[in-house]
Order: sequence, then C-alpha cells, then structure tokens
Amino acid sequence: MRRVEALEILADATADLPVVVTCAATSRELAAVADRPNHLYLLDAMGLAGSVATGLALAVADAPVERVVAIEGDGSLLMNPNVLPTGGHLRPRKLLMVLLDNAVYGSTADLPTYAAGLDLGGVAAACGWAVRRADDPGTLRRAFAEARAADGPVLLHVRIAPGNAPDVPRLLEDPVVLGRRFRDWLAERA
Amino acid sequence: MTSPEPPAYAGAVARGLWDAGADLIGYVPSASVAPVIDALVAADGGARGSSARVFPLSREEEAMGVLGALPLAGGFGAVVMQDNGFGNALTALTTFNAAYHLPLLVVANTRGGLGEYNSMIHTFGQHVPGLLDRVGLRTFELDRRSGPEDWHAVVAEAGAHARMTFRPVVVLAHFWATDGRGA
Repeated sequence: MRRVEALEILADATADLPVVVTCAATSRELAAVADRPNHLYLLDAMGLAGSVATGLALAVADAPVERVVAIEGDGSLLMNPNVLPTGGHLRPRKLLMVLLDNAVYGSTADLPTYAAGLDLGGVAAACGWAVRRADDPGTLRRAFAEARAADGPVLLHVRIAPGNAPDVPRLLEDPVVLGRRFRDWLAERA
Repeated sequence: MTSPEPPAYAGAVARGLWDAGADLIGYVPSASVAPVIDALVAADGGARGSSARVFPLSREEEAMGVLGALPLAGGFGAVVMQDNGFGNALTALTTFNAAYHLPLLVVANTRGGLGEYNSMIHTFGQHVPGLLDRVGLRTFELDRRSGPEDWHAVVAEAGAHARMTFRPVVVLAHFWATDGRGA
C-alpha cells in the first residue's frame, strides 16, 4: 500500500474529526487527496504532530469532539519519540495516532530509519498505548474503525511502501491561514 | 495536611501563571523551578508533581507542541522550564508556535549567570536572551531587583501579552539573590 492510498482511506474516515498531519510529503499528499479545514498541516515542525495532537486531545477532553487524529511518519516519530511515553503517562482518551511506517525518511531521499528493525507499535504498547495494526487497504479500514472506537491513547501502526506520490504540488499556504482555518472549524464543534 | 508555604518568589511565579489564564501547564524539571511546580500542583489539588492541570513533560520541544496547541482549541497553555532547554525548543517555537501565531507563556529560570556553580552551562545560558531576540520571541526578564509582587504581575501580564500579540512570550526568571535557588 502506498502512502497516498492510505491517506485516501484516512481522509474518507476522518471528515468529521480534527486531523494533525506531519510535515512535508505526508501533508502535501493529504492536501492533494482532500484539502479540508479539519486538517492542520504542520509544514515544517518536525516530529511535532503527536505532541500537537496530544495537546488538542487534552484541550477537547470535555468537548463534543470524538477523537483527535494525528497522522505521523516513522521518521518523524523517531525525531520526537517522547510522544509515546508522554501519551502513556497523560493518557489522553481522545488521542488516536496513525503511524504510516515505511521505514524510510520519505521526505529526505528515502534514507532508512530505525523502523526497518524496530517495531514502533511494540514501543507504543510498552508505553501504555492501545495498538492496532494494518498493512493493506482492507485492514486499514477495519483497524481505523476499531481504533476510533477504542479509548486512547491509541496507535494505529500501518505498514506502507516507501516512495512519494509523483507530481504532488508543494503546500505553500501561510501557516497562519492554515491554523486559523483549522481553529475556526474546531470552534464550531468544540 | 496542608502544603508548606512556597518561597515568596516561587509562589509569586505560580500565582502569576494561574492569573495569566493558563488552562494547562506543562513543565520540564529544574531544581530552581521545583518550588514553582510544587506551588502550582498544590494550588490545583494535586500531589507528587502532577495535578489535573499541571503535568511533567520529558523535553522542551514537545512542551511547545503540547501546550502550544491549546489556542487551536480556544485554550491557553504555559510551560515552566530552565533556559538551557531553549536549545531543544527553538525549532518547535519558530516553526510551530510563532509560525502559526499561537500564544503561549513560557517561564524559564536562568542558568549560567550570577551564582552559577556549573563551569559549562554559561556557554549556552549567557546567549539565551540574544537568541530569543534574534528569532523574534518577546522576552521579559526578572531578577533580585524587584520583589515577589512584581514577579507575579510580570508573569501574569506576560500571558496577556502573549494573547494580545498572538505569539509565544518568554519570562526569564533570575532566582539568584532571591529566596529561591539560582543554580
């Protein structure tokens, strides 16, 4: 399964949820699949998607927002692995992190990450996260539905193929505009 | 059992953080701000370093992400830390909090100045005000020359300033020669 195929499934499944997306190719590909105000694209904040989603999940703990979804990559998570023990400690019930794991830094020349020999889902489980797994479109649809129904923190560990979708335009919008658009969307629900 | 009264300056910082309107406060430990943390946790009905609204984080960059996200949901966060942690946090502060115009209050004790015992830490600490200024982060400094009530007022108003400017704002607290611990 290519990343863009996984993102098509996730976009379809998260139209009513706030989604925090890791930087570079993942944000660009999600915006190309569906550019919606419930998406917060982190244009250059490396490794921060899980932390931002953690803060949002804490902030909407008592609001009528079902889940806060982070879409993270293995390389980005390895830049800020504190997300996992922090989630295990704080236990934000609404936090659902989807880890798209291709075992390479997809935005930096496909250099390998540790994930080729490291089970990040297992690391999350050791930190106290509930873990679901998927490796093809069918299991991703089913596992996302399960993860959405489970109390967080939940990590959905998705094995995908390396490589970026071709001819996807850069995401050049002002981050202030992207942030305000997301905030306004969330304010209508929270 | 009631909690012991915190040192005056630490208590003033803690009251200032609540009066700044912080909904949640994350901290990265430092001996100098430990009495601040204790006062925050006690005021919030917690114990052992955590309460419903106060919690530890492992590193400063994740603190900027976790607490910095709150304005996106209509809230306001604060971070308590030590100033050498800005070396870990600058990328997050500039590419997230500042770039997305998200207010955040950061209160950091300083190291490497008067009263320092560590022969290395000044190599970063002495440049923190300049580094923060260079990347456009507004900074207010507090030291022994003003009393606890001034520290309280500055911390509280720095929170208002962060929201007014839609930016992260830093208060650098020099505890040397106060009733707190400078290093």
